[in-house]
Amino acid sequence: MNIAVLVKASIDLNMLRIDSSGRLLLDETPLAISEYDRNAVEEAVRIKEAKGGKVVALSVLTWGPAARKAGEAENVLREALAMGADEAHLVVDESIIPGSVDTTAEVLKAMVEKLGPFDLVLCGESSQDVLSSQMAARLGEKLGYTVVTFARKLEVLDGKIRATRDLEDALEVVEAELPAVVSVTGEINEPRLPTLLQIRRSFAKPLKRYTLADLGLEGLKAKLPAREISLVTVSRKNIILEAESLEEVADQLIAKLMEEGVIR
Amino acid sequence: MKALIFGEKADHVLDCLGFLAALKGASGEEFESVAVVAVAKDEVSPEALRGVSRVYALGRVSSHDAYATILPMYEEVKPDLVVGAATKNTTEVFSRLSAKLDVPMLTEVTEISVSDGEVLLKRNVLGGRALAAYPFTTPLILTVPQKKFKPPEEGPTPEVVEREAAKEAKVSVVEVKPKERGAVDIEAAEIVVGVGRGFRSKEDLDMAFELAKLLGGEVGCSRPIAADYGWLPEDRWIGISGKKIRGKLYIAIGISGAPQHIMAANDSRIIVAVNKDKSAPIFQYADYGVVADLYQFVPVLIKRLRERGT
Repeated sequence: MNIAVLVKASIDLNMLRIDSSGRLLLDETPLAISEYDRNAVEEAVRIKEAKGGKVVALSVLTWGPAARKAGEAENVLREALAMGADEAHLVVDESIIPGSVDTTAEVLKAMVEKLGPFDLVLCGESSQDVLSSQMAARLGEKLGYTVVTFARKLEVLDGKIRATRDLEDALEVVEAELPAVVSVTGEINEPRLPTLLQIRRSFAKPLKRYTLADLGLEGLKAKLPAREISLVTVSRKNIILEAESLEEVADQLIAKLMEEGVIR
Repeated sequence: MKALIFGEKADHVLDCLGFLAALKGASGEEFESVAVVAVAKDEVSPEALRGVSRVYALGRVSSHDAYATILPMYEEVKPDLVVGAATKNTTEVFSRLSAKLDVPMLTEVTEISVSDGEVLLKRNVLGGRALAAYPFTTPLILTVPQKKFKPPEEGPTPEVVEREAAKEAKVSVVEVKPKERGAVDIEAAEIVVGVGRGFRSKEDLDMAFELAKLLGGEVGCSRPIAADYGWLPEDRWIGISGKKIRGKLYIAIGISGAPQHIMAANDSRIIVAVNKDKSAPIFQYADYGVVADLYQFVPVLIKRLRERGT
């Protein structure tokens, strides 16, 4: 069972850099592995442990400047290697930065075709930074693989998979033909924390870099790039209520909520 | 311009019509829309869908059959815009459509604005901390949040026609298990009391239920309470993958404020945070903050509210 797992080096939401005038400094904000991609790596490694085969981590750099961020994306891939992926491949090309779902899917398709064939491609249900939830379905469609999204349980059967999809008001159990692209939710497993030894060993595993030219994709361009990304101006009052006693604080709060007209 | 609307439920069509009305306000473009719904014909009330010219009723379909049905309809209708509610299945169907047709797609557009004569569509990114703006161009595929854009109340009633769904063979649905439904709909609640990891046991949540009852509200929760501890069913989970609330008051108790939680609660008019850690991110998103141990403060608040006879 050969599995590709998509790993996004996402904007680290806990480390957002903002200047004194409230402008987002994305170039200066570090990257971290996208939360649910950790679940995808864990699931891939578990399947490999049960069925054999290999796990290949794929990533496309979507944030710049490339010179600085490529190293951070490599660290993200090292994390996947430490968790048990066997090899990792990263595409770095300034011409598709900042990234867009359509260009990223195009590049991932080329990667899967170059490094495959794979039985299964796994990814998180959405990236923590862009939150599009489009990648699994886009990539599956482009590759001609079966698409299964929002899986909270996944079993590999003979030549097919059975997945439990977590929908708004129901759990839907589906059986799908392989090869398939499957997106997984945070509930599917508890991602392992690699040991120090596993982290050290990850440096001996192959991690390769590519440009668009290596994949024959020169000239690839986003169809609808974002015009701008700006901070949401939080118009909250941010008033901390303080007093001698909690009774007084409670009274202050009740008075404020009545003033606001939200309680009677 | 022409719009093709897909709704898993008839209500989703209203979300789309509301969006189109707002877009017309911003761009001046008039849309003629056709809707496809995954609902049986006799369950569609034409009076409730004013503004659509025709509704195709498929009956309940899987996401794969929905895709197989909509793809040829796209060629038939040749729409400038494909619109749906931002549900999981619709997101899957539209992403495939977008990749197949090479038409760009925006997931969950929450705002329309005009800047220097240009219409911009905005969506939340970075866990709700930022908005990404995209110029409105056609053709375009997009999803919109539920119950965000007000549908028009007038307009002609549509003709409703039955249509047989196409089949896609590579995936088969083996079983559909409806989720356990509490009697609550926190998305419709005007007042929500949110509970998070600051609570030490399931029994302690009684405090929150008591507070919610006094205020005439419902209890919601952060991800760990529903997903990790299983103390409350998932229909109370406030988060991007859970429920989104937009009532008049949200009281977050013992919740630190993960971006996914805040994004789903941030449309509430007034937010109150109670947390013993004064550096908890939730305070940045709160109108009123109380830095205190919830085990001490909540009983006092309940007592004071009771004494007032609220």
